Amino acid sequence: MAGIKALISLSFGGAIGLMFLMLGCALPQYNTYWPLFVLFFYILSPIPYCIARRVVEDTDATSNACKELAIFMTTGIVVSAFGLPIVFARAVLIQWGACALVLTGNTVIFGTILGFFLVFGSNDDFSWQQW
Amino acid sequence: MSGFFESMRCSECIDWGEKRNTIASVSAGLLFFTGWWIIIDAAVKYPKMEDFNHSYHACGVIATTAFLMINAVSNGQVRGDSYSEGCLGQTGARIWLFIGFMLAFGSLIASMWILFGGYVIKEKQEVYPGIAVFFQNAFIFFGGLVFKFGRTEDLWQ
Repeated sequence: MAGIKALISLSFGGAIGLMFLMLGCALPQYNTYWPLFVLFFYILSPIPYCIARRVVEDTDATSNACKELAIFMTTGIVVSAFGLPIVFARAVLIQWGACALVLTGNTVIFGTILGFFLVFGSNDDFSWQQW
Repeated sequence: MSGFFESMRCSECIDWGEKRNTIASVSAGLLFFTGWWIIIDAAVKYPKMEDFNHSYHACGVIATTAFLMINAVSNGQVRGDSYSEGCLGQTGARIWLFIGFMLAFGSLIASMWILFGGYVIKEKQEVYPGIAVFFQNAFIFFGGLVFKFGRTEDLWQ
């Protein structure tokens, strides 16, 4: 039951984040859809860690080089998702208000993805490793 | 007064514990990719060759190569206490790491040279591209150091 509650609240968080992103694009005074490119970063961000988790055999070690590389890559994707709208705004492609909305959406979405891993990552009876 | 700093034990007041490698990886990633986004920003703002000579990008590329080289060998390999010999053994690892650090310091120095030789001394209108090159290389350099020395390999065993 706890899994269902967590899932519903996380999907709520994802919807809020996407709403901020769409507000940054679609509000009449902004009306430019360049920030939608950060969607790629949202999709890419969990991939390195999932790959590392599958590649690394589950030993007693608390950490290993492959997982740390995956964390490094994930951080890079997250930083890119924040950097892209800022560069757009500095290049006067979008306005600073739209940039701020997109950054807020970024924070919410990445918080949601992190929450997903925290909630379902360590749980034994409903885990990603069964996939 | 004397012995003031000796009583301060930095590694004991913060309990890094098992999270240490994760924190080091995240901060290294933050530094490295922030560096690259700074130079992307400068390249977007100053597309003209007179404002921002495109050959200055080579500096960051060398720094990135150095980052990869430094972090491709483990500390255990250099000390010689790893189980496998690798392709060239301990000597090869040391030479590889030596070249990697040389490239890293070289690119950091080169970026300072670009900032002062290319922008400050010539008294250009726009100094920002030079500063961006310098900060890019500084961030990549310190990201590499954090990724190399911030992690401990005891957690891998």
